Amino acid sequence: MKNKPKIAIFDFTDCEGCEVALVSLREKLVEIATETEIVNWRLAQKKADDGPYDIVLIEGTPITQTEIDTLKFLRGQTKILVGLGSCATLAGIPGIIDKEARSGWYEKIYGKDYKPRGIDALPLSAYVLVDYSIHGCPVDKSELLRVIQELLAGKTPKNPGYSVCFECKLAGNPCRLLDKKPCLGPITAGGCGAICIKGGSPCYGCFGIRQDAQVDNLVMTLRKFSDPAKIENYFSMFLKKTPEYKKLFDNKKERNGKP
Amino acid sequence: MAKIIPEKEIPSLASELTKTHTVYAPVIKGDETVFSEINDSAEIALNYSQTPLPPKMYFLPANEELFKVVDDELQKAGGIKPFIVFLNLKDLKAVNYLDKIMQKEPADTFYLQRRSVSTLVATTESAVGSHNGSDLTLEKRNNSTYLAHSFTEKGNKILKSSLFKEAPIPEKSAQEPLPNHFDELLLDSGLLAQAVEWSRENSPSTWEALGKICLSCGICTYVCPLCFCTSTEDKTSIDGSECTRCRKWDACTLPRFAQVAGGHNFRPTQKDRYYNWFYHKFVRAYKEFGQAQCVACGRCQKYCPAGIDIEKILTRLVEDYKKAHTKKT
Amino acid sequence: MENALLPKKAKLVKIEDLSPDVKLLRVKLSNSSFPTNDSGLTFNPGQFMLLGVWGYGESPFGPSSSPYEAGFIDFGVRNVGVVTKHLHELEVGDTVTLRGPYGNGYPLNSMQGKDIVMVTGGCGIPPIASLIEYLIKNRKSFGKIYLIYGAAAPDNLLFRNSYLRWQKAIEIILTVDKPSPDWKGCTGFVNAHLGKVKVDPDNTLVAACGPGPMTAALAKTLGGMGISKRQFFVSEERRMSCGIGRCQHCTCGDTYVCLDGPVFSYDQVEGVWD
Repeated sequence: MKNKPKIAIFDFTDCEGCEVALVSLREKLVEIATETEIVNWRLAQKKADDGPYDIVLIEGTPITQTEIDTLKFLRGQTKILVGLGSCATLAGIPGIIDKEARSGWYEKIYGKDYKPRGIDALPLSAYVLVDYSIHGCPVDKSELLRVIQELLAGKTPKNPGYSVCFECKLAGNPCRLLDKKPCLGPITAGGCGAICIKGGSPCYGCFGIRQDAQVDNLVMTLRKFSDPAKIENYFSMFLKKTPEYKKLFDNKKERNGKP
Repeated sequence: MAKIIPEKEIPSLASELTKTHTVYAPVIKGDETVFSEINDSAEIALNYSQTPLPPKMYFLPANEELFKVVDDELQKAGGIKPFIVFLNLKDLKAVNYLDKIMQKEPADTFYLQRRSVSTLVATTESAVGSHNGSDLTLEKRNNSTYLAHSFTEKGNKILKSSLFKEAPIPEKSAQEPLPNHFDELLLDSGLLAQAVEWSRENSPSTWEALGKICLSCGICTYVCPLCFCTSTEDKTSIDGSECTRCRKWDACTLPRFAQVAGGHNFRPTQKDRYYNWFYHKFVRAYKEFGQAQCVACGRCQKYCPAGIDIEKILTRLVEDYKKAHTKKT
Repeated sequence: MENALLPKKAKLVKIEDLSPDVKLLRVKLSNSSFPTNDSGLTFNPGQFMLLGVWGYGESPFGPSSSPYEAGFIDFGVRNVGVVTKHLHELEVGDTVTLRGPYGNGYPLNSMQGKDIVMVTGGCGIPPIASLIEYLIKNRKSFGKIYLIYGAAAPDNLLFRNSYLRWQKAIEIILTVDKPSPDWKGCTGFVNAHLGKVKVDPDNTLVAACGPGPMTAALAKTLGGMGISKRQFFVSEERRMSCGIGRCQHCTCGDTYVCLDGPVFSYDQVEGVWD
C-alpha cells in the first residue's frame, strides 16, 4: 500500500474565499481527505503537523517579511507547491497598487509615524518556484478539483489553453466586446465558466493570461470604444504584477492608485 | 393532394413531438435567436438568420465523454434519447456536410450515433425540390401555411400528426429569399480555394494585418456550424479507480493547437494560425471534399469580438487574385 | 461498426532503459497476437501507433520492433509530456492501451533492389530500427544499406544492444556531438557523414526520421550527391491526436500527417507553409 500523500494548506494575506471554495467541494473534499492526509490546515482542523509535505497549497499574498520567510521555508518543506487563488498566483486585489503608491496612502490615512508591516504585494512566484497556479478570485470548484485530481494522479497540471470566450459562448452570454463594453475574456484562460459575464460584470482576467494570448490585439479592440486610462484600470485589477501589464503600461508614469 | 400545416400550429407540432423526442429549435431570447430545448407551447423562430451556437452542438457536443473505464473495465455507454432539431436550410446544409466529414472512413462513431437517433426538420421560404438532406422540410407557401415535404421514414412519422391536413398545394406567395453576396462567393469554391492559397505568398500584408487583429479567442470556430476540430483529454477520479476520456471543441486559432509534446509549435504565430482557419475551410476542405467548408451563415463575422469581416476579406482576396491573373494573360 | 477511437487493451511485458530519458516498452495483447497486414507485417516500419494509459491519454509512437514480430511490439518512449511521464512510471504487468497502426510507413515496395541509406538523430531512431529489422530479414532484396545515426552523447544512442547484430548485415555510422573519452565513433551532425556513403545515386532511397532542420540539411547534401528529393523520405512530426484524419491537429498544408504520412517524400513537404 502506497503512503498517502501529505497535504498542507496555508494562507497569507487574503479573504480566505478560496479556502471556502475548497470547503465547498463537500463530498469531494471528504474523498480527497480519504485518499490523502491533510496534515495542516489552520482554517479547517486542529491537526497542524510540521513538514515535510508532498503538496502544499498556499492561498493569499505574502505581504509581511514573516509571510515571505514562511513561504520560503515552506518551499523547502514540500515536493509540490501550488498557489491557490489569484492573490497567491497574481498578487490579486492586494496587488492593485504598487509599493510606492501604498506608502503614500499609509501616510495619508495613518499619518507620518505609522510603521506599516506590509512590504509589497507580489505573487508567490516573485519569491519561490511555484509548481502550479490555480488562478481565480475565487478559484472555480471544478478547476480546483481537476487540479487536485491531476496532482494525485501524478500528472503535471496545465492551465486551460482556451479563453474565457469558450465557456462564455457555451453559457449563452451576449459578447460584451460586441456591445462595446470592456472585457478581458479573450486573453484570459478559461476554467471559470464565464461566471462574471453571466452575472453582468466584465472579465478582469483573474484566471491569468492565457498562454501566448494576443494582448496587444485585444488592447487595439478595446481602444475602439474605451480610453487608455479605463483600459489600464481593467488590466490593473488582477494583472498589475504580470509582465504583460508592465509591457503595456509601465513606461507611462503611474497615474492610478496615487493618493 | 399534399400535407399542409398552418404556421400557428407549428409550435403545437413541436410540443406534441416533445412527448416522444427531445426537441431543439431556435427560439427568441432577448436580442438573439438561440437554439434551445423546447418544452410545450414554445414559440419557434422559424425564420431565424443565425444563432450564436450552431446545431452541430447536438451531434458533436462541446464537451463529450467518450469512454469511461472503472477498475480497468470499459463501461457501456448509455443510449441517447431520440431527438429532433428544427433548423434553417443553411444550418441543414452544414449538418449534411458534417455528416459527409464524419462518415468518411474511419468514421466517427460518436457523431454518427447521435445522427442516427436524430431527425432534422428544416423550415424555409424557398421552393423545395428534391431531397435536401432533411427528414422533413416545411416550406412556407403563403402568410399562414407551410407545405410539408417528407424525405425519409423519420419524416413520414412526423407527418402522421393530426396537425397536418390534406389539402391541394397552396399557391406560392411567400417571398423567395435572394442569395446574398456571401452565398454568391461560395458558388465558386474552386476560385475561393485558389485565391486563399495564392494570398499567402502574394498578399502577405493581408495575413500580417489579420494576425495583429485576431484575438485568438476561438469564437469564430465555436459558432461555425461546420468547424469540428476537437481535443481529447483524460481525467482520473480522486481515488484513481475511474478514468474518463473526454473530447472538447478546440479552435485552430488557439496557440496550443499545433504544439507537440516537448514544446515545439508548428504554427508559432497568430498569423499562421489565423491563416490556417481560412486554409482549412477554403483550401484543404475543398481539396478533400470538393467544396468549401462554409455555408455563408455569417456567424463568424457577426460574433467576432475584433470585428473581422470574413466575407470582406474573401471578396478582396478573390478580386486581387482575379486582377493578378488577368494582368498576366 | 467498430469504434475507431476505442483502443485495445495491452500489457507491458518488458521495460528496459535505452538511455537516461528513453525507455523501451514492450507490449503484448492479452490473449492474441497482433493482426498482420496484406504484406504479412504487424505494421509497416514508419507507421505509428497510439500508445496510452486510461486516465492519462494517448501519444503517437513509431514501433521499433521487427514488423515480422506479431507476438509483441516495442516502443522507445522519451519522457517529455503527461502521457510519456506516466508511461515511464509503469511496471511490467501494467495495462496500457493501443490503437493503430496508422499512416503509411516507409515505401517498402520502392525500396526493393535499391541501395538504402537511413539517417536519423536522437530519439528518431525507433521507426528506423524497425525498418532495419525489415531490411535485414529481406537482405538479399537490397543493395548496400547504411545507417547514419547521431545523438548528443554516446549515452543517448538508443538500441546499443542491437548494433553488433545489425553490423553483420548493414554499414553503421554513429556520430555524437559530445564524445566521451572512450568514444570510437564519429563526431558532429549526421549530415557531415553522408560523404562516407558509397551508393549509386540513381538507384538509392534515403529514409530519415528527425527534426526539420536536420532533414533540410540532408536534402541539400543529398542533392549535391545526385540524390533527388523524390528519393528522400522523411517522417514528419505533428500532434497526432485522433489518428483518423479528423481532429485537425496534425494537418500540414493539404495533408493529414496521421493519414497521408507520417512518411513523405521530401518534395511533398519542402516549402509547405504549414
